[in-house]
Amino acid sequence: METVKTQDVTFNDLNWKIEYDADRCTMCGSCVAVCTFGAIEVVAERRSKTVSKGHQPDPTQQHQAVPVIKQKNGAANACVGCGICEKICPNRAIHPVRNTDSRGTLVSRSGSPIKRGGRTNLNADRTLDKIVVGRISQMTDPSLDSERHTFDILAPFGRVLPATELPFQSDGSELSLTGKTPPVNWIYPVIFSDMSIGALSTRAWEAVSLATAYLNEKHHIPVRMSSGEGGMPVKLMESEYLKYTILQIASGHFGWNRIIKAMPRMKVDPAGILIKIGQGAKPGDGGLLPAAKVAEHVQAIRGVPKADLMSPPNHQGLYSIEESVQKMFLSMNAAFKFRVPVAIKCAASATSVSVYNNLLRDPYKICGGFFIDGIQGGTGAANEVSLDHTGHHVVSKMRDCYLAAVKQGRQGQIPLWAGGGLGMTGNAAADAFKMICLGANGVFIGKLLIQLCGCVGNEHGRCNSCSTGKCPTGICTQDPRLVKRLDVDKAAQNIVEYTLALDSELRKLMAPIGNSSLPVGRSDALVTTDNAVANKLGIQYVC
Amino acid sequence: MFKISAINGNDRMSTQDLLQAINEALAQGETEFHIDAAGQHDIGGPLWHPEGKPLKFYVTNPGQRVGSMCLEGTEIIVEGSASADVGWLNAGGKIVVKGDGGDTTAHCAALGKIYVGGRVGTRSGSLMKHDPLYEAPEFWVLKNCGSFSFEFMGGGIAVVCGYDSEEFESVLGDRACVGMVGGVLYFRGSAAGISKKDAKVTELDDDDIKYLAGNMDDFLTSIECPELKDELTDWSDWHKVVALTYEERPKKANVKMADFRTGNWVPGGIFSDVCNDDYVVNGVVVKGLYRQRVPVWENAKYAAPCEFNCPASIPSQQRFNLLREGKIKEAYKLVLEYTPFSGSVCGSVCPNLCMGGCTRGEIDISAQIGKLGTYSLDETLQGPEKATGKTVAVIGGGAAGLTMAWQLSRKGHKVTVFEAEAKMGGKMELVIPRSRLPEETLQKELKRIQDMGVTFVNNHKVDAKRFAELKHEFDAVVVASGGHIPKVIPWPGSERLVKGLDFLKTINRGEKASVGKRVVVIGCGNSGMDVALGAYQMGAQEVTCVDVQKPAADPKEIAHVEELGGKLMWPVLTEEVTEEGIVIQDGKIIKADMVIISIGEAPNFDYLPEELPKFRGCLKTADNFSIMDGVFTAGDTIKPGRLVDAIGAANKAASAVDAYLNSTAYEAVTDKERIPANRLSTAYFKKCHTCELPEASSDHNRCISCGTCRDCHMCYKSCPENAISRVQKADGSFEYVSDGDKCIGCGICAGVCPCGIWSMYKNEEPINMYRTYENN
Repeated sequence: METVKTQDVTFNDLNWKIEYDADRCTMCGSCVAVCTFGAIEVVAERRSKTVSKGHQPDPTQQHQAVPVIKQKNGAANACVGCGICEKICPNRAIHPVRNTDSRGTLVSRSGSPIKRGGRTNLNADRTLDKIVVGRISQMTDPSLDSERHTFDILAPFGRVLPATELPFQSDGSELSLTGKTPPVNWIYPVIFSDMSIGALSTRAWEAVSLATAYLNEKHHIPVRMSSGEGGMPVKLMESEYLKYTILQIASGHFGWNRIIKAMPRMKVDPAGILIKIGQGAKPGDGGLLPAAKVAEHVQAIRGVPKADLMSPPNHQGLYSIEESVQKMFLSMNAAFKFRVPVAIKCAASATSVSVYNNLLRDPYKICGGFFIDGIQGGTGAANEVSLDHTGHHVVSKMRDCYLAAVKQGRQGQIPLWAGGGLGMTGNAAADAFKMICLGANGVFIGKLLIQLCGCVGNEHGRCNSCSTGKCPTGICTQDPRLVKRLDVDKAAQNIVEYTLALDSELRKLMAPIGNSSLPVGRSDALVTTDNAVANKLGIQYVC
Repeated sequence: MFKISAINGNDRMSTQDLLQAINEALAQGETEFHIDAAGQHDIGGPLWHPEGKPLKFYVTNPGQRVGSMCLEGTEIIVEGSASADVGWLNAGGKIVVKGDGGDTTAHCAALGKIYVGGRVGTRSGSLMKHDPLYEAPEFWVLKNCGSFSFEFMGGGIAVVCGYDSEEFESVLGDRACVGMVGGVLYFRGSAAGISKKDAKVTELDDDDIKYLAGNMDDFLTSIECPELKDELTDWSDWHKVVALTYEERPKKANVKMADFRTGNWVPGGIFSDVCNDDYVVNGVVVKGLYRQRVPVWENAKYAAPCEFNCPASIPSQQRFNLLREGKIKEAYKLVLEYTPFSGSVCGSVCPNLCMGGCTRGEIDISAQIGKLGTYSLDETLQGPEKATGKTVAVIGGGAAGLTMAWQLSRKGHKVTVFEAEAKMGGKMELVIPRSRLPEETLQKELKRIQDMGVTFVNNHKVDAKRFAELKHEFDAVVVASGGHIPKVIPWPGSERLVKGLDFLKTINRGEKASVGKRVVVIGCGNSGMDVALGAYQMGAQEVTCVDVQKPAADPKEIAHVEELGGKLMWPVLTEEVTEEGIVIQDGKIIKADMVIISIGEAPNFDYLPEELPKFRGCLKTADNFSIMDGVFTAGDTIKPGRLVDAIGAANKAASAVDAYLNSTAYEAVTDKERIPANRLSTAYFKKCHTCELPEASSDHNRCISCGTCRDCHMCYKSCPENAISRVQKADGSFEYVSDGDKCIGCGICAGVCPCGIWSMYKNEEPINMYRTYENN
């Protein structure tokens, strides 16, 4: 007998337990072959007992050794609940079960913090699910036909000047421009948000890029994708499809050498520039790409060796909002000859309104958008303490920013984009619509996209292994053996189909409130049964 | 004939008054109605004559829904234009509007005819249906329609003649036929914006022309434009719109993503400068290159616990494997490669550390490795093929010296052992009770050493002079004189102590050693137990063994003494030895008429040069066991220990001497790692009772064969992919091989292997996918 001591970390201390039915198992080996975490193994199990088959005590010893699948003990090979074993098992003999009495968070902290991917697992509360679209046009005003009505589903990326400030001159019949205006791109109100090359596999990143292009080219849905902070594929920058991509620059400045070098060969402008100051999943912390994922192509695109790549928590050399505006905005605008709008992304924070107010007063009128990322945003790698215990809910914060602009009569000038947990319960259209009614110009989604590609992770602690390089679906890994599992076309197709449905659903929501264009700020359309939410957001309380 | 003007100056009849007036006239049998309306709604339906006679309405200036819900037998002729909803829900009437119709003309019409001699507004013809019990509804328009015409059209026939409509881009307006699921729409001229996801535009066929030609006259006559017939019957100007069938409707985007990627996307993919991707999608269970893990057959990579625990590294699992294979002689011979004393030491005196670690012991009882040694008594090994001509003098014929003599003579060197005593064997001969080590066993094994070509010289005490001679005479000298100076502690009265070593030597010489009735033995090591045994053998009645600490002797030896009535006491701090016995802590006395001390022996180096470096009274050697050029040592001269420790050290030292004699570099053998217990699968082995124990020579079935393949075929038969094969080699050995092209890396082979031979490693075979393209 192997000696087990009470302090040994065994499978029942871990977050997931493997349930296994030896009677159904044929020992085909599939589950053990596919588990990327090495969480299960084959062992020979002793089946010895003394039985009595006579009419009186008649001991007979039965002995058998049976090969079985067994979960490994120890935190190093902990099952993450991804369920690939269950998916592959031809006989439904094995599946992971959440361990309600887990000691996983205790036994996993051996000298260093828990690092993982995914979202916060402690803040699953959903304000948006407490809100419904309660103002339906019926006899008061005609509702619209969502199927056939022409909707103007476009949101600005870029600084929007109020009509009185537009440098127009009229000669009585024709309007002509007499001064400069900041660039604005009118795009779909849902941006495929920034997941870096490195965080995602080449195939996953390409799938999102491919879906973006397909939606534009084949369905005329002007959706844009943000590159993330890991640089850009050179071939994409040299192609016409660059125009669907927003380039991101973050504190690590990864990949910008290749972006700048590609400029002379760019046939089109990128859709925009997004300066990432902070991220909802880990506010106050920089990007993190574990060495396990820094494969050769990542080394090449980012210009670094194989190592844990940690971005600084802030943009070095930027000490104030004013300086950010000057250095980043002006430089980024200048770099693309003032043709490409530049926006900024911050983690939602108690200070967001101050930042937004400051940007609104920007004398250069050059800030092309304020992206607010909430606590429920996802990430490829973060300290769990940051994921679970830092951040700010995005709904009220975006609303606060919007109302602050309204107070000054400046709403809509610096477009507000909100993200972080949007689509978390599956319906990104509803989330987007509600955020827009509360004042957002658009939203950004990320985690949902990889879930469409096949990611099985969720905010209840399932998988969340994006940081390990062992992603079972080939999405968040640079291991060719796992990347090969991902079907680029299928992943892109899923994103396309979801987006088409999302587009229809947005119409289904715009139609009943009678809006042909996005109902930015139409909070009268929303009601809630939660009085606190009603009070905070200034929407109708109903019961 | 009922005739009414619905307005008189500023006095306009309400719709209700007008319709009720019509109803009253109809009730009185009226069939013809002339109505000068003033925008009143719903003129013309649903009405029927009490006797079923046809009704005819001549209307001017009607309001909305003229002819709505109109029934068969009703004909309505509107002079001039009509407002919205002409013929709404028409259920069989013929409605002729000589001017324009408003919005939603013929909306939901399901039967009858609606003729319009001008234009119709937006959403005209929408939701038309065809009840299969009746004729299809017909809706003819001379000119054109507003936008969203024929939305949701579900049946019937619509004809848009496109007359006088050249100024319009589309005679159907924009976005016609959205949601169209049935019916036929004919139009003349050009149309744009027809919903492609709902309907398709085709050319006319003969039946279409026949229908249009057959009804054109009635239409044109009804709207009083017969002169247009020629212009409107050039069928090449006409087109037909029909709804897509269910099968024809696009369910998904009509371009496949893979086609888009290969046809429209960046050629080779956006990462093709840094990534070599063929876009092939692997299943999750894969063979060969893409397996996550690979099995490796690592036979004998790890030491079995018996082998690991044995200071002489005897691989007993291999002995049992040979027995299992029926290679009995080879099994018995194998041990002799590691020791010449498999009977005297392994089988008799040794505490058998091998069995202490035996995995089988975790299941029930250790494999009987010690006893196995006794089966080798009559075996020997093949002598050297040729003599090297080198000579070795071994000083001391104990376990260390004789083991070195055995190993060196097997290597072809000429070895002479010089023993100070009358007999070879060292402590085995001199000290160890015969009850534990039968004389016959020892003699057989000594003989075997002699037979290997070793020369024994007894009664040859080596002093400094003789040592110098030996060093000169022989190519190498081995100092293996052991430890024979009993240690004594100078307590008051220590002169009364009898030295255990001397006591035992006396007994083994066959002399009568004097012994008291009550004996105290100081020192509870194995030799202390031997002394106690000797004391009882010599007639003592009560033996008490004391020690300052927990007795270090093997439990087996202690048990033996206790069986004879001996007592062990500790901690006992001796303070004085007196006539009465020993005085211990707190002034207590353990009574004895004889006190024997047995706390170890120190080596005697008086024949060696004094300047030799020492550590704690023992020789300090170089890494190759040498103490001087050409002089080597092993055994108790280096560190006091058990016999098997001396044998293990002697094996190593013999290799060093051999290297010295051959002028080659001595390479110390690094001990193998002990096999981790979790690599082994002991579940196969049924627990047995002591009574079921076989003879040691048949204990091979109980041996797990830790770390060494027992050739059981479990892996071979369990591999789900039949990837494993067993390869028999010419030299009689075998190996198991896993075929990478079949293997999925599941690790069943490793999991089912009882011996822990298969290891699963991360598949490190490189995949040419990502590159940096450095300097390129």
